[in-house]
Amino acid sequence: MAWHDEDSWLTAAFAPKLSTIAITLLLVMLLPIALHQFIYRVQTPTALPTFLLIGPSGSGKTAFLTLAERRAAAQTHTSTAPLSIEALLPDGYVPNSAHYRSPGDPAYERARRLLLLDTPGHGKLRHFATAQLVNPTHVRGIIFVVDAASVADEAGLDETAEYLHDMLLALQKRYTGAKTSKGPKEIPVLIAANKLDLFTALPPHLVKISLEKAISEVRKSRAKGVKDSGVAMGGEEDAVDEENEWLGEGGEGAFEFRQMEEVGTSVAVQGGNVLGGEGSDVKSWWEWVAEQL
Amino acid sequence: MLDTFEILTTSGVVLWSRTYVPVGANIINSLIRDVFIEERIIPQQEDAGYHPTYRKEGYTLKWTQAKDLGLIFVAVYQSLVHLTWIDKLLDNVRALFTGLYGEQLNSNRSNSSTLDTQKFNPYFDRQIQDLEGTSDESLNVKLTPPSSSGNDSAEESAPTLPVLQKPQRPLYDTSADSTPVPTPDTSRPTTPAPSHLLTGKAKPGAKLSRRDRKKAAGFGSAPASSGDEASVKRKGKSSTKKNRTWGEFGAEEEDPSVVLDYSQADLKGDAPEAEALEEIKQETWGRKTGKGQFVLKDLDEEMDAIIAEQNAKKESSAPSSGLVGSSLGAIGGLFRNVVGGKTLTKEDLAKSLRGMEDHLLKKNVAREAAVRLCESVERDLTGLKTSSFTTVESTIRTSMEKALTKILTPTSSLDLLREIQTVNASGRPYVLSIVGVNGVGKSTNLSKIAFFLLQNHHRVLIAAADTFRSGAVEQLGVHVRNLKELSHREGGEVDIFQKGYGKDAANIAADAVQYAAKNNFNVVLIDTAGRRHNDQRLMSSLEKFAKLAKPDKILMVGEALVGTDSVAQARNFNASFGPGRGLDGFVISKCDTVGDMVGTLVSMVHATGIPVVFLGTGQHYADLRGLNVGTVTRLLMS
Repeated sequence: MAWHDEDSWLTAAFAPKLSTIAITLLLVMLLPIALHQFIYRVQTPTALPTFLLIGPSGSGKTAFLTLAERRAAAQTHTSTAPLSIEALLPDGYVPNSAHYRSPGDPAYERARRLLLLDTPGHGKLRHFATAQLVNPTHVRGIIFVVDAASVADEAGLDETAEYLHDMLLALQKRYTGAKTSKGPKEIPVLIAANKLDLFTALPPHLVKISLEKAISEVRKSRAKGVKDSGVAMGGEEDAVDEENEWLGEGGEGAFEFRQMEEVGTSVAVQGGNVLGGEGSDVKSWWEWVAEQL
Repeated sequence: MLDTFEILTTSGVVLWSRTYVPVGANIINSLIRDVFIEERIIPQQEDAGYHPTYRKEGYTLKWTQAKDLGLIFVAVYQSLVHLTWIDKLLDNVRALFTGLYGEQLNSNRSNSSTLDTQKFNPYFDRQIQDLEGTSDESLNVKLTPPSSSGNDSAEESAPTLPVLQKPQRPLYDTSADSTPVPTPDTSRPTTPAPSHLLTGKAKPGAKLSRRDRKKAAGFGSAPASSGDEASVKRKGKSSTKKNRTWGEFGAEEEDPSVVLDYSQADLKGDAPEAEALEEIKQETWGRKTGKGQFVLKDLDEEMDAIIAEQNAKKESSAPSSGLVGSSLGAIGGLFRNVVGGKTLTKEDLAKSLRGMEDHLLKKNVAREAAVRLCESVERDLTGLKTSSFTTVESTIRTSMEKALTKILTPTSSLDLLREIQTVNASGRPYVLSIVGVNGVGKSTNLSKIAFFLLQNHHRVLIAAADTFRSGAVEQLGVHVRNLKELSHREGGEVDIFQKGYGKDAANIAADAVQYAAKNNFNVVLIDTAGRRHNDQRLMSSLEKFAKLAKPDKILMVGEALVGTDSVAQARNFNASFGPGRGLDGFVISKCDTVGDMVGTLVSMVHATGIPVVFLGTGQHYADLRGLNVGTVTRLLMS
């Protein structure tokens, strides 16, 4: 049966038959609906701007999260799993993008919404945070929570500085490893010096200075330390050129947070306290968040 | 007596807690750290209804988990007190809490951490009373505190109350179904009469209070109130019946501010609901003073129902009955295995886990460690749903990768250079000592570490504390000679401290530290004699060594070649330095000879929880590497 025969399917498809018309109509009606269904299911809903909460264990990340959600800090313990919550910027803070909108505008309300993502700070569970850093699609900013009281002693400072160093290095790698010349979207970092209500806590500017010093030390000893086992153990070759990357201005001289601006990361240090006798005081943090929104 | 009972999520937020005696937050934090994160203490089998225990600072902690909801239930009490009913309490509270809030937790899992658990108080109190076996009198007396505490807390929760009410509805609906049935025909025939009487009284009282309220609030509009009355007439009977038991734990409605809130909700169009709420209040208040016990009985029944339901759910999920049902289930299971969305049970996991265990054994992981890893994966996955389009195997794989990463990642910093700096700043030399079984490469790795330190311009003294094996001192002497030549240009300085053979190793080590302090060396590396880890005679001398030389760091060298024995080696060496002192890290030597069979690393870390500091990867002085967790995990899973 050739294609030009009267009862071949191709002839039938072009013939003015009732069945052909019915099938064509059905196709015309259903195809757009099916396509619509498919595309709208695949497309993710518009994501809220995310703020990542990072920091060593016991610095007050989860407490700040609950404060943001309930306006009062809840009792918390060491986290073992990440948690994301949707929070609203408190009244009195105007998102930067909504500066000229009136408070009744629905777009204004929408601009105030944000997502806070809490990560466990324990040394063994930091992969939750680092996984976010590698591919920060919706991350608008990073809040690195520091216990200002524990930074006063050597051990606490070292742990904090090392974590902060790794985080900043990951951000820098993201910038220098970008394929386009424009570079990836900027991710600002807030170092939130928490627990300022404690007597032993360092004031924010001292936190900044001691962290900068400690990071210089970390960088120095990293440069001198033994090489990573990646290549020797038969790992991938890309580990080779990674080793030449040092934080801030080629790793020379003293490290300052200012140097991070070159790689698209501005670092601010603000004090506050989530808990405390006279209530919480996280105004400066919210101001920073409002600025990024 | 119980000190504290807490219900918290894995993300660290406390959902509900009851404190009888304040307990520091660090107690539960250390439980989470030691048990859930570092897995230092393996929980025992949970059969026979016994939950694992954890002891810390005079407290005993017992806990249980609801894994699918990410909840942890912890009971804390003094170790001196022996409480036999804690296991039962944990079980019951878990069943109650998951029954009451399970759906809510599941639904608002995304982007919220709040859960109102005010209502849980009476349930918990009742459980405690039941289990403590108090008498009926004390029961009647104890009835009031929960409700009054509810009254106190009402003010804080007032604004959010209308929202809270909705999720509670299913709860009182079930109770409403159960209450009228048992009341007429059980052994207390007096119940129906007073309850009817009371409902009759309650109505006018309710209306009156409504009007008063409206006047006070300035909403005195006639049409609105008449409409309300109509709704009362319509709804009156059913709602009063329904809400009788419910009001028992919702007694906070007594508060005027809450009531005011309802009138406002009323205006928005929630009239019937608000009406219902207020009527309960009137009625339960009347009832409570007189016949508190009946109300409590209802609560009891409800509680038992919830627990029974949870238990039934648990049992029914395990076996599937009937030929058709089972075969359909099998087909469905196969399908789900491919598509995902299957709830994992132990049986599902068993086969794949055995395969995973074999795979790990092939990678030279000691059997004990492999079993433990698989158990931890099983604990991690049982009761979870596989995500869409993932098979059980791949779920296990990712979970195993996660478990390996978690084990191998060190908890504390391993930066040797910084530690040396800190110790030297306090004006004494940094002492590092190396122990291990015979022939694993102690001296070789010691000289590698020495080379690494010399490159960083340290002044290193090597102490030959191996006074046993012939040629050991000379061997170190050769190393030192080589290192001297190599470091000549670099600016480091190295020397050997030796006292010949036959002397006591501990004394030599102590002398070496003194000598180093005097002669301005800032690092002392002590080589020790190799010893068999199961020879008590040889191992006992290590305790004295640790006491005299006081090393800042004790590293144990282990071969990558060794198999199952690695677990015992690591354990025995870790325990040999006396109480309060253990190993600080491992050096795994000969890693270049095993290819991808790097299981020894995992075995040793798993046995002791001590991190791997260095890897020996070749014959040269420079062949010393840090551990790359990602690479090792990849090698093990390949």
